[in-house]
Amino acid sequence: MTLKEFYDKIGGDYNGVMSRLMKEERVVKFVRRFLDDKSLATLDEKLAEGNYEEAFRAAHTIKGVASNLGFSRLLDSSNELTEELRGGTALANTDHLDRVRADYEQTIEAIHALEN
Amino acid sequence: MDNMGRQKILIVDDSDMNRSLLSDMLEDEYEIMEASDGEEAVAILNLRNTDIDLVLLDLVMPKMNGFQVLTVMKERQWIEDVPVIMISSESSPAFLDKAYGLGATDYISRPFDVAVVHRRVVNTLLLYGKQKKLVDLVTEQIYEKEKTSSMMVHILSHIMEFRNGESGEHVLNINIITDLLLRQLVQICDQYPLSVSDIHLIATASALHDAGKIAIPYKILNKPGRFTDEEYEIMKTHSMQGAMMLEKVTKYKDEPLVKTAYEIARWHHERWDGRGYPDGLKGEEIPISAQVVALADVYDALTSPRVYKKAFTHEQALDMILNGECGSFNPLLMDCLKVSAPQLRELLNSESTQDSGELEVIVDEIGMHEELSASGRTLQLLERERAKYQFFAAISREIQFEYTVSPNMVRLMGSEVAERGLPELIMDPANSDQIREILGEETMQIMNGVLNTATPDQPIVEREFEALGHGGTIRKKVIYRVEWSADEPPQIIGAYGKIILL
Repeated sequence: MTLKEFYDKIGGDYNGVMSRLMKEERVVKFVRRFLDDKSLATLDEKLAEGNYEEAFRAAHTIKGVASNLGFSRLLDSSNELTEELRGGTALANTDHLDRVRADYEQTIEAIHALEN
Repeated sequence: MDNMGRQKILIVDDSDMNRSLLSDMLEDEYEIMEASDGEEAVAILNLRNTDIDLVLLDLVMPKMNGFQVLTVMKERQWIEDVPVIMISSESSPAFLDKAYGLGATDYISRPFDVAVVHRRVVNTLLLYGKQKKLVDLVTEQIYEKEKTSSMMVHILSHIMEFRNGESGEHVLNINIITDLLLRQLVQICDQYPLSVSDIHLIATASALHDAGKIAIPYKILNKPGRFTDEEYEIMKTHSMQGAMMLEKVTKYKDEPLVKTAYEIARWHHERWDGRGYPDGLKGEEIPISAQVVALADVYDALTSPRVYKKAFTHEQALDMILNGECGSFNPLLMDCLKVSAPQLRELLNSESTQDSGELEVIVDEIGMHEELSASGRTLQLLERERAKYQFFAAISREIQFEYTVSPNMVRLMGSEVAERGLPELIMDPANSDQIREILGEETMQIMNGVLNTATPDQPIVEREFEALGHGGTIRKKVIYRVEWSADEPPQIIGAYGKIILL
């Protein structure tokens, strides 16, 4: 899979990220590092503890990383989740969280595919 | 300069990915340091903030967020020397306003764009670099300027002393009192719109108030008894003679300093009720510069010894002036004199105040320019040094000294130094006849002996001894701290301390 194919698969913005980060090599390096990202695990953990402030921060981090790497689909869902958590209260339902989880996991899967 | 002088950037973001991304973009040109939360950032800044050239700061972080970091940086005035660029994905106007309000310089929105990150970083560093250089340059120039004019005042005062047989401090005291009264005056009323530099100009120009005395015959000038009417008339011409001399300085006659000096020389013996000389001007017809110097002149003349009288105390002088025994003055200036009385007494008691005057003017002058605010920390340091210097000078009635091996010299300080007319700098003190004269042969030998008993572990030495001097035996105490180099074995590089007369 090429990097372009990877971005198409996860609903990302290949042209955007290439124009910002300039080098495909740099993009690949940081896309790979997304595998080490712990934000989703932190998000789950903090939600389970009822620590919504920290949960907001974790969602915010996912949003920031997704934005920088041009993962547009994940950016949209994490943005909605971030705004929902901004008030510091429990989630009304898990719709946004579920979307973030789905987009996040799809992205991880695609990175593994890119590596092979 | 380590690392070939590469500028240092501190990246503060809780996301490892974001830090790496920025680091990747910048590490070719800059030295990168990272902090993963606000607390860590403050710890790093606290340790080496002067070393860091730029901070890239995220907003939403654990432990301490970006606003809290900015608040600390503002409180401790680090923000004035270390620019901050915000890098949060929070980009609402409210967030940006708050960040700018706390002193952030710029903002890089996400997603990061290599070209944008580079441009913002380069621009900010350039701007701050230029500003730092400018502030240094201006500070240096003002200092040089101040040093020169203060030096001229000192020289003039000694020339006057030489001829007048007056106390050598007269010109210096007039300078201090004039400055003090004018500062007070602009505080209590709006009638005289004098800026800090106007006040400084008048105080400097006051040095020439008695320049005309050069034209007065020596015998009259230094007559110990009462003047005859004729002599008094001749004596009175000094104000007009001084003004004429200044008028003939054609090259600089339009300079504010010369114009002000002219006013002061000509009219510093005028009185508020019109009964002064030479022109009999009344009230506000007399320029404020001359009004103030007239009052300063009277106060200092009263509190100083003269060939024909002894010195009055500060309290006596104040009473005499306020009772109108020395002629009438602007009521506002009398108020200033009353309000400034405690400061006045303190100032005149510690003559070494003069030396810190340069610092004071730098602080004031830079304070007037908002564009120089980046030097806030430097100013604070100067201000602190000044306060410290004045405090030590004021409380000590002793000789303080600072000795350095290279250059081989000793610097003398303290009110005793000026009082006894001792030189400030003495080269090669161990073989100096001047030092021998000041301390006496025995004291010198004792000092040398004491120096040799100090060790790096016990650098502070204290010894009491008796020495011959001034027609009797004087008990003296010397305390000093010897400074050692970091070499192995350590070498003596100098010492500082004081000699106290017991």
